[in-house]
Amino acid sequence: MLRSLFLFDMTFWLYLAALGLYVGYVLARRPGLQFALAGLPTAGPEGESGWATQIGQVATIVTIFGWVVNTLALLTRAYERLQLSGTFAPWSNQFEAMAYVSWAIILGYVLLEFRYRIKAIGAFVVGIGFIAMGAASLLPYRYQTAEPLVPALNSYWIYIHVSVTLTSYAAFAMAGGLGIMYLLKERAEQRGNRSGVLAAFPDLETIDELGYKAIMVGFPLLAFGIILGAMWANYAWGGYWSWDPKETWSLIVWLIYGAYVHARMNRGWEGRRAAIYAIFGFLMVIFCFWGVNFLLSGLHAYA
Amino acid sequence: MNGERQVLVEKEAAPVATPKLGWEEISAELAGFFASIKLAMFLFIVLAMTATIGTVIQQGERPDVYIKEYGEEAYRWFLRLGFTDVYHTWWFTSLLALLCINSLTCFYKRFPAIWRSMMQDKVNVALPFITSMKHNAEIRVAGTKERVAEGMVHMLAEKGYRVLVKNDPQEVTLYATKGIMGRVGAHMAHLSATVIVLGGLIGSYWGFQEFGVCLEGQTYHIPKGNFDLRIDKFWIDYHDNGAVKSYNSTLTVIDHDRPMTTKTITVNDPLVYKGIWFYQSSYGDAWDRVEVARINIKEKETDRVLKTVDLEWQKEVTVDHLGLKLALTDFVADFSFNSSEKKVYSKSVEHANPAVRLAIQERKTLRATPWIFYHYPDLFDIQGSRYRFELVGYQPMKFTGLQINKDPGVNIVWVGSTMIVVGITLSSFIYHRRLWAKVIPHDAGATVHLGGNSHKSQIDFQKEFRKLTERIKTINT
Repeated sequence: MLRSLFLFDMTFWLYLAALGLYVGYVLARRPGLQFALAGLPTAGPEGESGWATQIGQVATIVTIFGWVVNTLALLTRAYERLQLSGTFAPWSNQFEAMAYVSWAIILGYVLLEFRYRIKAIGAFVVGIGFIAMGAASLLPYRYQTAEPLVPALNSYWIYIHVSVTLTSYAAFAMAGGLGIMYLLKERAEQRGNRSGVLAAFPDLETIDELGYKAIMVGFPLLAFGIILGAMWANYAWGGYWSWDPKETWSLIVWLIYGAYVHARMNRGWEGRRAAIYAIFGFLMVIFCFWGVNFLLSGLHAYA
Repeated sequence: MNGERQVLVEKEAAPVATPKLGWEEISAELAGFFASIKLAMFLFIVLAMTATIGTVIQQGERPDVYIKEYGEEAYRWFLRLGFTDVYHTWWFTSLLALLCINSLTCFYKRFPAIWRSMMQDKVNVALPFITSMKHNAEIRVAGTKERVAEGMVHMLAEKGYRVLVKNDPQEVTLYATKGIMGRVGAHMAHLSATVIVLGGLIGSYWGFQEFGVCLEGQTYHIPKGNFDLRIDKFWIDYHDNGAVKSYNSTLTVIDHDRPMTTKTITVNDPLVYKGIWFYQSSYGDAWDRVEVARINIKEKETDRVLKTVDLEWQKEVTVDHLGLKLALTDFVADFSFNSSEKKVYSKSVEHANPAVRLAIQERKTLRATPWIFYHYPDLFDIQGSRYRFELVGYQPMKFTGLQINKDPGVNIVWVGSTMIVVGITLSSFIYHRRLWAKVIPHDAGATVHLGGNSHKSQIDFQKEFRKLTERIKTINT
């Protein structure tokens, strides 16, 4: 138990360090040197100057290292669970779920960085991963330990249903982070502040498109997660749908993003509106994930 | 989007004729309304908002629960609006029905064009159409128009595009498309809504859900399946730290007096027989029988405990040296007496006032069947007996709570679920993109006019378009 808790702790500090480095990177890149269209990899390594390149590289390395430690923490926790009660899913309570969500967010971010070569996003997305990890470590100790599963949860379904659903939450978290980034950048641009800190961010269109992509990853995953939940419920509770608050809220979240996905087909639903909507959606995800457990009663109130 | 109008929705591109108001117009107007994305968004949002009601207000509670929490006036409104059972109100059901109509109409209106586009074997666009596209480029290449076109077809096919070519004397026209499955996926998801709702309806009309409280060793008739179910055993497994590991019931299905199948069910592992599912749902202490009861036999005179006996349910025990034969014949958890019928019964399932009834035979002469109360040891005295009996403890028999379900619609729901997951995944990760090109020859080679669009993933498409342009430049070098 202590071994995994130590690793979770270490993950927290590493993500904090990575976040600091990304912020430092954005600050170091401030000088208005951006000739290249941001987001276009052919334009060279973002036209950075001075310390920025080094800080950026260190930030990436620290992030990856943090992610590896996060992976190890989850694996260790899985091993401890196996020793303790014979099931290993390292996302069996609120704490582990949060740690898993931050793992997925950071993985998503690292993939995004490698694919699009935009480091400035790290200041937001790694930030959200860090907050997820931080919120987990703020939970009381009794929530952090690997108590054996109650009979209703003791099933193979927990491996797939929970991980799929949490991964979709991570994708929505990324979209939310990108939404915030979009609004900040847009505000800076409207004030004519083109050379300030925010100039280091990729252009608005890129942020918008990436946010949309994140939602397009989360949306099918959430659908899959809900359906896996229904299949599980059909085995455990005797009915695939019982309008339990958690079930209903995950459906609500899905409907909210469903409206978004359809809205994107129309003109005028990109950019600012989409960014605000993505943030709103993410708030709903947070409520579905945390609020429902603590505020509403129901079959999912295990944490 | 303008390209789509030309190719995918040919009918819409035709200018609207003089506004007549016939059946054709009305039905077209209606179809347009029901197929609209706006209606879909509206329904998604309204469903999301109304669905929250049932998570905030407890559903299906007794009236007094609502009155206590919200007051009488509010409760009256709840009843009027159906807030105590939101998900089964006429208006919520209507919203779901509208969503089905919406998605079906959308499929009906838009899918044929996609189908035609999949089957399309001709290409016909004018040059201004290409040059006015969001992504377009003009590339000068060496070589004859045929050789350039051939090179492009090769390159596009390599990239996974389906390519159509039309060779005219003055120019070669190309059309290339990729990722139409993204659009097909979206429509698969649209159809799934109706499939899932259909499955749900079938389940609610031809299915049932019941709850049974069953005791170990008993056999129960399941009328809806016309077979019997015997409860062989119920027990609880614990972890080392005392937490419950699993609830288990061993059940045997007896069909026409023959045991057909035996299975130990747990919370996540039901028994299925003839389409009827038996779930381990709950458990509790039985209110009308015990496993064993501990009785102190006291001497009346000295108030001394002579012996303590554990009586098993309905099994006679002989205590030789006291000249006693004892049997535990009845138990009630919450003693009550119906004076008109002269019957003892348990007025609740709570163990509020437990009592056992003993059948006592003392020295062949005295027989008695007194009720012995756990909380009131001195209530009754057996006249003529040397002894007094005290109930000091008992171990209640456990009942197992079984949920019994049949849902003939469930497999249809799974079909719909698969459709929705596959459909959304396809439409999320595959995006439909189309390219048109005209290769126009001139004295020093040919000019390629390339235009393209995608309905999603603009960044990716922009990149791809740029790469394609670069490659066309080098096509004949």
